[in-house]
Amino acid sequence: MTTPVGTEENADTDVKQRTFCLVGMPNSGKTTLMNALTGGHFHTANYPGVTVSLLQGQSIREWGPPISFVDLPGVHSAVNPSPDEELSCQVIESRHPSVHVDAFVLVVDATQLERHLKFGGFVARQGRPVVIALTMMDLLDRVGQAVDPKKLSEALGIPVVSVDSRHGEGVPELLSTLRDVVQRPAPRNALSEIGDEPVEAYRRVRELLGTSDDLVQPEGLDLLVERDPLTASIDRFALHPYIGFPLFLVALVCLFASIFWFATPFMDAVDAVFSVSGDFVSNLFPNSILASFVAEGMIGGVGAVAVFLPQIIILFFLMTLLEDSGYLARGATLVDRPLSALGLHGRSFVPMLSGFACAIPAVFAARSIPTLRERLLTIWIIPLMSCSARLPVYALLLAAVMPDAAGWAGLALAAIYVSSLLIGSLSAGIVGRIAFPDQAPSLLAMELPVYRVPRWNVILKITWSRSSSYLRKAGMPIVVVAIVLWLLSSFGSGSTQPQFAGVANPPLVAQAEMDNSFAASLGQRIEPVLSPMGVDWRVGVGLISAFAAREVFVSAMAIVFHVQGEDENTQIEGLRETMRTATFADTGEPIFTTASIIGLIVFFFFSLQCISTVAVVRKETNSWRFAGLQLLFYTGLGYAAAVGTVQGLRWFGIA
Amino acid sequence: MIRSLNKIQIKLSNAVKSQWYRIDRLDGPDSECRRLLDLGFTPGERVAIVRSTPLGDPLVVVVRGTQLALRKREASWILVQ
Repeated sequence: MTTPVGTEENADTDVKQRTFCLVGMPNSGKTTLMNALTGGHFHTANYPGVTVSLLQGQSIREWGPPISFVDLPGVHSAVNPSPDEELSCQVIESRHPSVHVDAFVLVVDATQLERHLKFGGFVARQGRPVVIALTMMDLLDRVGQAVDPKKLSEALGIPVVSVDSRHGEGVPELLSTLRDVVQRPAPRNALSEIGDEPVEAYRRVRELLGTSDDLVQPEGLDLLVERDPLTASIDRFALHPYIGFPLFLVALVCLFASIFWFATPFMDAVDAVFSVSGDFVSNLFPNSILASFVAEGMIGGVGAVAVFLPQIIILFFLMTLLEDSGYLARGATLVDRPLSALGLHGRSFVPMLSGFACAIPAVFAARSIPTLRERLLTIWIIPLMSCSARLPVYALLLAAVMPDAAGWAGLALAAIYVSSLLIGSLSAGIVGRIAFPDQAPSLLAMELPVYRVPRWNVILKITWSRSSSYLRKAGMPIVVVAIVLWLLSSFGSGSTQPQFAGVANPPLVAQAEMDNSFAASLGQRIEPVLSPMGVDWRVGVGLISAFAAREVFVSAMAIVFHVQGEDENTQIEGLRETMRTATFADTGEPIFTTASIIGLIVFFFFSLQCISTVAVVRKETNSWRFAGLQLLFYTGLGYAAAVGTVQGLRWFGIA
Repeated sequence: MIRSLNKIQIKLSNAVKSQWYRIDRLDGPDSECRRLLDLGFTPGERVAIVRSTPLGDPLVVVVRGTQLALRKREASWILVQ
């Protein structure tokens, strides 16, 4: 005899442990409802697999015992699902290993009943309790239509609650209906009888709604425009044959300027805070290896993560704003044609553009691309975009190759930026054809939602929850890598370097450490590899250090070439002077010739010299293979291109 | 008015802007067409091109009260009257 499991009694006390899922089609207003239900206290949760953001939270206490809610990504169709849709389908069909659902809140846009109820059939067929939350009722008022929740509930056989998430109306009723509905087994209802086959399903939905074909359809296009005059008039400009692109360009410039320049003072501030606290610790215990570890390894490592935070927050904020207002879909529509020809998606424009500021937020931005193949291809080309960390390196090298022509150097820099975009596009086109040879482009069929006034509090909440998710998920690997690189450059086998036997100025202690470090011996070990590039082991140390962040190349070069300097500016001045006179130890020939400097520029152009990017790509694609292949491919390509350039220039007689 | 013209079956990608058509059938790759059906492009349904984009592709299409951006390639699978 088995004892009957007391589900009936437990159900009552159990309510707070239950999980309810918000499901619906994209743009149905799920996230706004989530915000209203949880009072803004939700966080981004990541699940194994290609990263999909899920919002999790608990209902506010003042509306009774807390209930856990999960906001699932919107689903257009369970056929050929995108990674986001696949996750939602897994949860809905109880196939997901870790998210188990007790009941569904089906979020239905009242202005789009047919499509949303057809999707509702898929949810209701799973046999779990369903409550419909009817949203966008205010839009319905605006166009002089009405849906009666009571009649709809009778027709469908399941509870329907009308909610206005912006003002919180209907939310307590929704919660009490949910508490009610989980106590009782789900009765058979009309919604669950809507089949899977689309033609028949849509016919059935119309039957349930009691509308005939002709009643639902407006008679002319004027009526369609009347439905939402605001959207129609904005789109007239946003997608205008002549004005559309200039408007888009303005949006792009604003986006780029914000990430590139607006973030800079904040990044400098973060940087200053961390270097001041690092200095404080090392001054507290001078000559202590532990203090040095805490100051340079740990504080420096955490600083390396935190310094990206201003860019990340600004990018997430602007992306959420673009998405929420409805413009992102229009921008993607404008540029879809050229991007889809390259195997990318219309939405790839945001990650590609962000890549010019920093690859790390850019890789995160690729989440907005709905299809897996286009998302991976976008992430693949992001490291080619000329990020801001390359700027100091290019500045140093261009000044060295063209010392008296600042104008030409500026032009060369512009050429580097443009060609990084062109070569990135070319790379997408080629790699896409090699990696996915037989596949036609994925379906675009992208919904253009109605324009809505941005919901600032929701946008800020989402921005914050995504940014803190970055800190938690990507932060750890970056800190670890920073510490490892610190260890490499601070400790060594203690071997003496004969190259420095006759140096006139005795190196400082820190410099002596650098010369004896593992990084230095690694640099010497790889010197045979470096000589085809026309540089010696000291440049190799700079290149290895640059894997922490590309701009570290400049300071590492200053250390390894024993440049003295009070501050950064005099140090760079000194470094330029030193580079002019630096020679190979064995032959006495100059290291920094036109050919070798151009070779270095080419190397930095292609090479993926940023371990943080590798860590983030690994997180976002959930694939070491992808991240590793990307690192090897670009660094290998950079090396091959640099060697080719140097040897080619020498062959043409340019040393 | 011009009833006879409406009887001719054409691809949605060749359709005239700002005019209602009725979907006759879908003819294209299976899974893509299935997704289009799910999105509401079912035979008998009315559909219209509301506007084209500066580059002429994608097209902005309305079906069941929703605006969708459809690539011309995708629109060519939808045969309308």
